[in-house]
Amino acid sequence: MKKINVVGSLIVALVVLSGCDSKPKEEVKSYKYTTDVVYKETCLHCHGAKGEGVAEKKSPAINKLSIQELEMALFDIKNGGLGQSTASEHEVMEHNMKKLSEKGYDYDIKAMATYIFNTFHPSK
Amino acid sequence: MQSDNIIEEVLREIEKQESVLSRREAMKLLALSPLAAGVLGSASTTTSAKAASNAKGKIVIVGGGLAGVATAAKLTHNLSDPDITIIEPNPKSVSYQPGQTLIAAGVWQKSDITYETEKFIPDGVKWIQDSVIGFNPDANKVSLKNGTEISYDYLIVATGLMLNFGAINGLEGEITSSGENSIVKKKIGKDGVYSIYFADGAVDTYKGIQELIAKAKAHKGSEKLQAIFTDPDTAIKCGGAPKKIMYITHDLLSKAGVRDKVELTFCPSGDKMFGVPEYHEAILEQFKVRDFKWEYKTNLVGIDTEKKVATFEKKWLEKGEYDQDLEEYTMVVKSQNVEKKYDFIHITPPQKASDIVGKSPLGSSKGWMPVVKETLQHVKYKNVFGIGDIAALPMGKTGGSARKQYGVVVDNLIAVMEKKEKLPAAYDGYTVCPLITSLGTIMMAEFNWTAKPTPSFPLDPTQERWIWWLLKVYALKPMTIYGMLSGRA
Repeated sequence: MKKINVVGSLIVALVVLSGCDSKPKEEVKSYKYTTDVVYKETCLHCHGAKGEGVAEKKSPAINKLSIQELEMALFDIKNGGLGQSTASEHEVMEHNMKKLSEKGYDYDIKAMATYIFNTFHPSK
Repeated sequence: MQSDNIIEEVLREIEKQESVLSRREAMKLLALSPLAAGVLGSASTTTSAKAASNAKGKIVIVGGGLAGVATAAKLTHNLSDPDITIIEPNPKSVSYQPGQTLIAAGVWQKSDITYETEKFIPDGVKWIQDSVIGFNPDANKVSLKNGTEISYDYLIVATGLMLNFGAINGLEGEITSSGENSIVKKKIGKDGVYSIYFADGAVDTYKGIQELIAKAKAHKGSEKLQAIFTDPDTAIKCGGAPKKIMYITHDLLSKAGVRDKVELTFCPSGDKMFGVPEYHEAILEQFKVRDFKWEYKTNLVGIDTEKKVATFEKKWLEKGEYDQDLEEYTMVVKSQNVEKKYDFIHITPPQKASDIVGKSPLGSSKGWMPVVKETLQHVKYKNVFGIGDIAALPMGKTGGSARKQYGVVVDNLIAVMEKKEKLPAAYDGYTVCPLITSLGTIMMAEFNWTAKPTPSFPLDPTQERWIWWLLKVYALKPMTIYGMLSGRA
C-alpha cells in the first residue's frame, strides 16, 4: 500500500508542477490617498519639497534615483527586506513606514516610484 | 521525447532507494495511470504550439548555469533561425544546487548534482569555453579572458552570483557554488566550520555533522555543545537553506540519540524567519517544537577558527527624539559586537554580484544588474536582459525563480528582436522554497511579490508534508535537468 502511495503522490506532484499553472487571483488594493497627497503630507517633511533630502532629519535625497532604484528601495521598506528573510536596509524608514501605513498613508510601490521619478528627477 | 527522459530519471531516482519500491513496480504503476501519461505528455507539447519567429540577430548569453542554458534552449525552439552563443568557462557549470542540502543530509552524493555542461548545450548553440572579463554595452561587445572580443546584437546576462566568504573577518575568498574553491576551503569544511553553499562544502558538511554527533556522544557535563547557523545581511540564494541545514542537523542528531547534548541556535541578520507572514509563523512553530533557539538581527562579521569564536554584530532600534512632523518618536539604529563560542557553525556567506558585471556599465551601486522587474529588460540597455541570481530583483534567487523567468526573457527578447514596442511577458516574482523540515518532510513555501503564499496545489502550504519530500528527492531534479534545461518545462 505504501508503494502505491509513493507513486500516487508523485503523480499528483507532477501534475502540480507541469500542468496546472493556475495563477492566484490578484488582490486589487485600493488606497486612501493619491501618491501626490501621501508625498506632500508625509514624505515631504523629511525628503523635501523637491526630494532633495533634509540634512537635519538625516533623510537622504531621493531625486536622483532611477525608477528601478526607487522601486527596490520602496519594496525593501514596505516588505521589511528585499530577500526572503533578510533585514531591511532602511530600518528607520521601515519603522516610520509602518506608522504611516497605520495612519492610512499607504501606496502602491510602482505608483510611488513613478511619481517620485516623474516629479523630481532632473531628467524630467 | 522530453517527458520520457523525465520519467526515466524519476525511475532512476526511485531505483536508488530500493527500500521504497522497485523500478518494475514503479513503472507498472506509472503505466497504469492515465493521469501520469496525460501530464507528462502535455509537458512536451505546451511550448511547441507557438510558431517560431523569423526574427534575426546574434544573441550572446553570458553564463551557462540553469538560467543561461534553459534560455538558450527555449530560444532555439522559438526562433526559426537562431544565432546563439553561450560563454561559460566551467565544464561543469550545470549543477543542481537545490541538491546541496540533500548532500549535507547524506541522502545524495556530489555526483548526483553534477552534470557536464557539454551535454546540455542545445543543438545549434555555440559554446565558447572562456570567461567574460569586461562588458561594453555601448559598443555591444564583451571581452574575454583570452584577449578576444565578442560582439552581439542582443545580450543575456546569466552569470549567477559570488559567495563572498572574504567579507567575513578571518575568512578568505569569493567563489561560485561549483568550480575552484581552494581559497575558501582553507578554513571552511573542517574544525567545526561548514557551509553547504558550495557543492564541495556540502560534502564536508555531512562529515562535519557526523563529527558533531561523535563529539556529542563523548560529551560529558551539563553544558551543551553549541551549534550556530548564520544568515547574512545580503540577498542570498535560497532564503530557506540557512534554516534547512539546521533542520537536517537536528534530525541527524536526534536519530543518533544525542540531540539533548547540543544547543542549536539560529543567528540571522534579519528580524524574522520569512518575508511571508504565514510561512514566518509556521517556521516559528517548527522551531519551538524542535527546541531551537534564535537571535534576530545578529549578523556574523568575523570568526576565529583557531579559538572557535564567532563575532556577531547585533543591531537594534532605540527611541530617539519626538518628531513633530511624523507625530512619532524617531528611531536610532544601535549596534554592538558580541562573541559566541561554537562547536559547530554553519555559515551562509554574504553574496554579491561579480565585480565584472557589478562595476561595469551594466551594474549598479549595489552590484546586482538593474532590470525592469517584470520584463527583466535592462533599465538602460534595451537589447540586454538579465535572468537568475545576477538580476536585481526582490525576494527570489532560486532555481524556481529562474524557471519562471526564462520564458519571460525569451518572449520579451523576441519581441525586441521583432521591433515590437510592447513587451508581452511579465514575471510576478514567483519563488519556491521547498523547506526541508526533516529527512522525510518538507514545507513547500511558494510565494511571489505580493508576499502571500501562492500554492500550486490546494493543500495548506504551511504544513510539513511527506509528499513534498518525495517530490524534492525524486522528481524536481529530473524535471529541472530534463524539463527546464531543454527549455520545455
